Amino acid sequence: MNDEFFIQLAFSAAAVGALIALAAWAKIAKPVAPLDEYKARAMLAEEFPGRTVEAVWIASDGCGALAKSGALALVICRVGDGFAARQIPWGQAVSATFKNGRLSVNLGDIAAPTAVISLPSWPPQDLAA
Amino acid sequence: MIKPEFDPVALATPFFILTIILEIVLARFRKADARYEAKDTAVSLAMGLGSSVAGVITAGVVFAATIWVYEHRLFTIPMTAIWAWVLIFLLEDLTYYWFHRLSHERRFWWVAHVNHHSSQHYNLSTALRQTWTGGVAGTWALWLPLAFFGFPPAMIAIQKGISLVYQYWIHTEAIRRMPRWFEAIFNTPSHHRVHHARNPVYLDRNYAGILIVWDRLFGTFQAELDAEPCRYGLVKNLGTFNILRVAFHEWIATFQDVVRHPRYALGYIFGPPGWSHDGSRETSAMIKARALSPAGAAGSDRSPAGPRESHA
Repeated sequence: MNDEFFIQLAFSAAAVGALIALAAWAKIAKPVAPLDEYKARAMLAEEFPGRTVEAVWIASDGCGALAKSGALALVICRVGDGFAARQIPWGQAVSATFKNGRLSVNLGDIAAPTAVISLPSWPPQDLAA
Repeated sequence: MIKPEFDPVALATPFFILTIILEIVLARFRKADARYEAKDTAVSLAMGLGSSVAGVITAGVVFAATIWVYEHRLFTIPMTAIWAWVLIFLLEDLTYYWFHRLSHERRFWWVAHVNHHSSQHYNLSTALRQTWTGGVAGTWALWLPLAFFGFPPAMIAIQKGISLVYQYWIHTEAIRRMPRWFEAIFNTPSHHRVHHARNPVYLDRNYAGILIVWDRLFGTFQAELDAEPCRYGLVKNLGTFNILRVAFHEWIATFQDVVRHPRYALGYIFGPPGWSHDGSRETSAMIKARALSPAGAAGSDRSPAGPRESHA
């Protein structure tokens, strides 16, 4: 690695910074409408084909959803202008930390460590077991 | 003959920057179809920058190995002959096809290649979202037979660079279709959109570098369908923009699988992405079979978004 390499790297880093700023200025992310029950169920069907959804909780800000499917919890959370989906044991979802109206669900995945879902209350009394 | 007189990728870097600016500005004024999200763009470009640094670190080993193999070559192919450039164009592109197919169909190489597919966007910045660990995964060894055959290392490096530069411009939604004759022979934005899509019908298709004819020849071609718009990213999309998680998540996931199930280590390392010893996860082939079966998705007990698989 010589001086030429580091100069080139510095210019490249500056260009990267400028391009990120340009992308932020342009505001051309995908339009993402907040999730409602219909959209959440459609997304759950797409992400977890074959799974029967017994109940679904939609985040109050529309940025996520959590559904019960047998012994599993199906979780959808907003990432940028897209979504990530994971399934975890239902018991893990029930025991997730709920504080100040925010449910922090440990997804147990290095690529998607936590989902934060805004809910009025948690866990649901009738399905907690 | 040993070191290339020019580097196509370095020469093309200003072109990369200018065309990304152009794509963003045209999209901003609704003159082109492109979507950029700032954090996603930041990750893609940071991966590209990091990849160039990682490439320098491993370049010595790759260079030394190539030189050693070239010193034991079968023939001496002149760099000045046109036929030699035609031949290396075809052979390098064929090598790229198999490198790319291997990188999707075997987890040990997927762990390095997954980074290129982890964006939910498909734009010119996605082209620069490159792995940091390609040198470690050792896929560069697939190009050594070219040196053994007798192509000078500089010629191989230049042709690899030309292929990389060619593949840059096809990462866009701004170009819908090229002329029919072009789509028949060359890899295009349409063909490569299919490759980056996570729709079951599109999984593990269109591995081509420059010539799409390899996919047609080896049965991995899939045309972009108007009725099936591409959804980009991984079967299990990333839930974070943390650059270290983006760069290393599949390496860590593989390591965790091996530690948890040492008896099945070879399967977890060299099996297809999504393979599991108990069948609790799905590979691309399983996802495709389920989605395309008459029963469709019904009745599956497996995890379509199982613990680890993240194949696109």
